[in-house]
Amino acid sequence: MSHAGDLISAYLDGELTRPEIEQLKAHLSSCGRCAAEIQEVQLVRSAVRSLPMLELPAGLVPEADAEMVPLRRNKGFWVGAAAAVVALVIAVAALVTPSSPSIAIDELNSRYGARASLDPAFGPAKVVVPDLEGVLD
Amino acid sequence: MTESVPLTWEEVARIYGRKIYNFAYRLTGNSDDAADLVQEVLLRVRKGLAAYQPGSFEGWLWRITRNAFLDEVRRRNRRPTAPLPDEVDRWDIASSPSADVEYSRISLGDDVQKALLELPYEFREAVVLCDIVGLSYEEIARAVAVPVGTVRSRIHRGRKQLRESLT
Repeated sequence: MSHAGDLISAYLDGELTRPEIEQLKAHLSSCGRCAAEIQEVQLVRSAVRSLPMLELPAGLVPEADAEMVPLRRNKGFWVGAAAAVVALVIAVAALVTPSSPSIAIDELNSRYGARASLDPAFGPAKVVVPDLEGVLD
Repeated sequence: MTESVPLTWEEVARIYGRKIYNFAYRLTGNSDDAADLVQEVLLRVRKGLAAYQPGSFEGWLWRITRNAFLDEVRRRNRRPTAPLPDEVDRWDIASSPSADVEYSRISLGDDVQKALLELPYEFREAVVLCDIVGLSYEEIARAVAVPVGTVRSRIHRGRKQLRESLT
């Protein structure tokens, strides 16, 4: 093989057969140019996959919006009643529980903001960085 | 993905509407164009579902999506007063930089989005179908009606050009 070429992208996408992977590994062990290229292509691939998945504009596809309004009108009474019971329980609990130290907004942000930033659900959905160590050995 | 029982139109809209929108947005960099394409594709799906033969639903859907996009590009190219999302059927990579410059001007996306818009259409389409939509090479080949080897080549060349644009 002169250079790995498009085997590199196919490897990163999991589209190579086992013999092709072995062929690529053998080549990369002796070709600095292709070893550098696989790192660069991996960066680009990750960058594209890090683009956020955009939400559909509201109302564009009502069928896709349907899940956002799951409550039917005839369930409204029970939902309201349940909310009232929950509010009552919280109010009673607040009255009988010793007061806790107040928490500043900044502290809340640092606690939950940090958690959110680490949660995969808040980040890019499809960023998978293949392990190149075995390939580049 | 192979579907023995076709989805209903509502299910297609619910499951794939957002993916189609993202596909179109990453190809055009324009939210209005993307929204128009979603509606056009869903219209075509609605008309076509009755005649759909069980097989590769993803291939069928993305072929419709791609054709709708290309039809819209051709329609606009016949009406030069409208914004031009791209030149299609273009294999000369170095040709017509003005269209790409125009793209960059009207697009307010980030560097990666801008770099995507600078790619020749065939490369951009392959990269978007792979990295944004998440199709396999075989699914892309079915949607675009080219051999898998061509898909592999387009994706890799597209990524290499992106790399050059981003450095």
